[in-house]
Amino acid sequence: MKDDKLLRWVLTFYTALVFLFVFAPIAASLVFSFNSDRFPTIPLGSFTTDWYVKAFSNPEVWDAALRSLIVSSVTAVIATAIGFSAAYTDYRYDFVGKKAFLILSLLPPTIPLIILALAMLGWLSMFNASGMTISIIIAHTVLCAPFAMAVIRLRLNQMDPNLEPAAWNLGASEWVTMKSVVIPFTLPSIIASLCLTAAVSFDEFAVAWFVSGLNKTVPVVILEILTGNIDPQVNAIGTAVFLVSITLVVIAQVLVLRPAKKPEAA
Amino acid sequence: MTTRPTTKPDTYAIAWRLPLIIWQGLFFVGPLLFMVAMSFFLVKNYRMEVAFQFSNWQRMLSKDFFWDAYFFTLWLALLATIITSLVAFPASYFLAFKASERLRRWAIFFLIIPFFTSYLVRIFAWQVILAQSGVINAGLSYLGLGPWQMLNTQFGTMVGYLVLCLPLAVILQTFSLANIDKRLVEAAHNLGCGRLRTVFTVVIPLAKTGLVVAAVFCFILSFGDFVAPYYLGGSKPPTLSIMIVDTSKSGQQWPRAAVVAITMILTLLVVAFSAIGFAYRKRGK
Amino acid sequence: MAEPLVVFENVVKRFGTFEAVKRMNFEIREGEFLAFMGPSGCGKTTTLRMLAGLEQPTEGDIRLAGKSLVDVKPHERDTPMVWQSLALFPFLNARENVEFGLKMRGMDKPARRKKALDWLERLGIGEFAERDVNSLSGGQRQRVALARALVTEPKILLLDEPLSALDAHLVIRMQGVLTKLQRELGITFVYVTHSQSEAFAMADRVVIMSKGEIAQIGSARDIYRTPASRFVAEFVGRNNIFAGTVNSAGNVETAAGTFTLDGKARPGEKVSFVVAADVVSLATSKPAAPNVFTAQLISEEFVGSMVTLFFEAPGDTEIKVQVQERSLEGIPREPGQQLFLSFDPSHAHILKG
Repeated sequence: MKDDKLLRWVLTFYTALVFLFVFAPIAASLVFSFNSDRFPTIPLGSFTTDWYVKAFSNPEVWDAALRSLIVSSVTAVIATAIGFSAAYTDYRYDFVGKKAFLILSLLPPTIPLIILALAMLGWLSMFNASGMTISIIIAHTVLCAPFAMAVIRLRLNQMDPNLEPAAWNLGASEWVTMKSVVIPFTLPSIIASLCLTAAVSFDEFAVAWFVSGLNKTVPVVILEILTGNIDPQVNAIGTAVFLVSITLVVIAQVLVLRPAKKPEAA
Repeated sequence: MTTRPTTKPDTYAIAWRLPLIIWQGLFFVGPLLFMVAMSFFLVKNYRMEVAFQFSNWQRMLSKDFFWDAYFFTLWLALLATIITSLVAFPASYFLAFKASERLRRWAIFFLIIPFFTSYLVRIFAWQVILAQSGVINAGLSYLGLGPWQMLNTQFGTMVGYLVLCLPLAVILQTFSLANIDKRLVEAAHNLGCGRLRTVFTVVIPLAKTGLVVAAVFCFILSFGDFVAPYYLGGSKPPTLSIMIVDTSKSGQQWPRAAVVAITMILTLLVVAFSAIGFAYRKRGK
Repeated sequence: MAEPLVVFENVVKRFGTFEAVKRMNFEIREGEFLAFMGPSGCGKTTTLRMLAGLEQPTEGDIRLAGKSLVDVKPHERDTPMVWQSLALFPFLNARENVEFGLKMRGMDKPARRKKALDWLERLGIGEFAERDVNSLSGGQRQRVALARALVTEPKILLLDEPLSALDAHLVIRMQGVLTKLQRELGITFVYVTHSQSEAFAMADRVVIMSKGEIAQIGSARDIYRTPASRFVAEFVGRNNIFAGTVNSAGNVETAAGTFTLDGKARPGEKVSFVVAADVVSLATSKPAAPNVFTAQLISEEFVGSMVTLFFEAPGDTEIKVQVQERSLEGIPREPGQQLFLSFDPSHAHILKG
């Protein structure tokens, strides 16, 4: 029917527009980072790598980059560990207060970041712990653990409920089973979780800004540059940041989307 | 002889249960509870003192600028939720009903990416695009139109909220639309229901839960967001989030910021619970 | 008389208020092939799981080779199991799967490798040793699961409906493999199934369970010929159950007719008895035989060379007759056909309860 076809084309075009909207800033950032104009517009200026040079010869930027790297790596490890323990507990056990446990583990993303940032700022400064890199790590872990838990829990859904009992049955204690069976089975999701939590931490600025004081991570530096003037350095830094995040997210997705190996039909 | 198995504490289970409880307890619940307490503290000479005074609450809740900001934020968030849900819907509909399984998977794959990239940098890019002499206005001038003032307006803020919420909204909507029983839609068509009418009378009610959840997330995200109203909206009038930032950064008035934060959380809880309650309510027919 | 390998003594298993297993007492002999059979929810799987240590009995004791298993963790027992879902480790290849139990015992690499390969050879899948288990067929995966369980040379092997996911022709073949294996190894097999044909085909003794209790233990033949109760009679295969009252002449009056049975009974007594489907004779005209009655043919079921004919006798009594296809030559089989059925009194088994 002609109506159907027309509708289809309209919807396809519309959806393409939506995707264009969503990816426009990323593409723009990339293009502008190589654009000589200070205030990018059409027509584009000439091609230049000046902004990259400027940004990456700034010691503050490198300092922040290193800190971002450390923070996101450590956060990834701790958040994944906590997320794993929560996911496994949810998978295997039923207990009084399980509902509360699950709410506790999944709540952080629903609280606005600014509020979390303020709360952590107050709390940590009571222990004179604010302003340190460790405090950013702590705050980010709280934020990222739910993502880790969700990813690993999804993978555990695919595990044969008899797999652990089979290992016990063959002589493996619970701890040995964890090491020899559960972890190998969930390994793709563990790596995916490491990538994802690293990405979230790497991009996260609000809490870092509040909590970091003088120990800045890259997003905080970006924020400070932004609060100053419009400086195209941000495009260069931003594009670099995008590249890191996108790589991590793509790896994570590829790992998660690879289905658990199913036996072929007999 | 009857023997009963002895009950020893299950150290294995406890070992796996504790990490989350301890960590979240110390670093999530603790800070939030502390923030509630903090709202009763006093600031003297730029230093915060432990106290139990209602002065912060009295002060904030009696001020016009607080309530202006409150209702303004509420209004913006509502607007953002509606606009995002509407903008997302045709795309979600397409992905759920008209796209192949493969295309849908790829679409979700790509949509997840911006979700995990720096929101801040994306907003900055939009700031450049929407500027007076930015890409859009330059394009418009070629067509003999404009320039339009897009930054420092509610329009700018809305664009920002869309950047924040749209990917998630499309993903959640697509997911819930794709999971409804397609046979019911076919049945409606068989009975002569027009396509558009089917959407409103059959598809949307069936996907109600997922659509409402998507909207709730949009609301939570935009209600609490600081970046969009600040960088694209001009921050005047301020939203509650901007108020928190201002109050705590410049005035060091953490207790007052805490008051704002708590009112935000309470509002969000009320909205979230009533919306979810609405979403899960069985249709009484 | 040799000591039994496994003893269940007054075992009760409760989940909350639900009694999955009610006061069970039985023994498993060394070297026997024992099958647990019963409808879903009868407690057979729970019993097996208690033996493996995956459930603990609420009351009672379970002893393996004389030692009590209460408080012995699953990994401390030597009761390897072949699972219904097979539960092969998907991230290990066939050989590594088989090696798992040996690895847990601390056997060194070359030794366990050799043992694993030997077992895979023995079960006819040596060439698939290095293959990813997910790429193997259902039957091959079955054998890997078997090898994995047997490689540690246990005294007892548990099997939880291992053949339920296989195609029919594979089931027959695997039944042969299992029976042969059990004979060769001489170890005890404890087998749980809901399929009567599996249990009767392989087991030395069968335990019929219903609602958490043992309804009967015995050889396949014993159960089939002399069911202990009405439940067993109805549950197991093709049986015809008659119920009636003893008359003054000592014969049983039922809705289908009056029958003479072996043994004495007092007039007025209520009696139920069972006549197996394969001992009922058919004739087109009234035969000179004891216990003749008429019935109307309703339908027939043809499986292989055996035919089961379904009749309706007076009083809505359903009668099944199972015969070889060949022996029905000359007998008309139109639905509605009235035929004469008869059986010998010695083939009627009186039921208790």
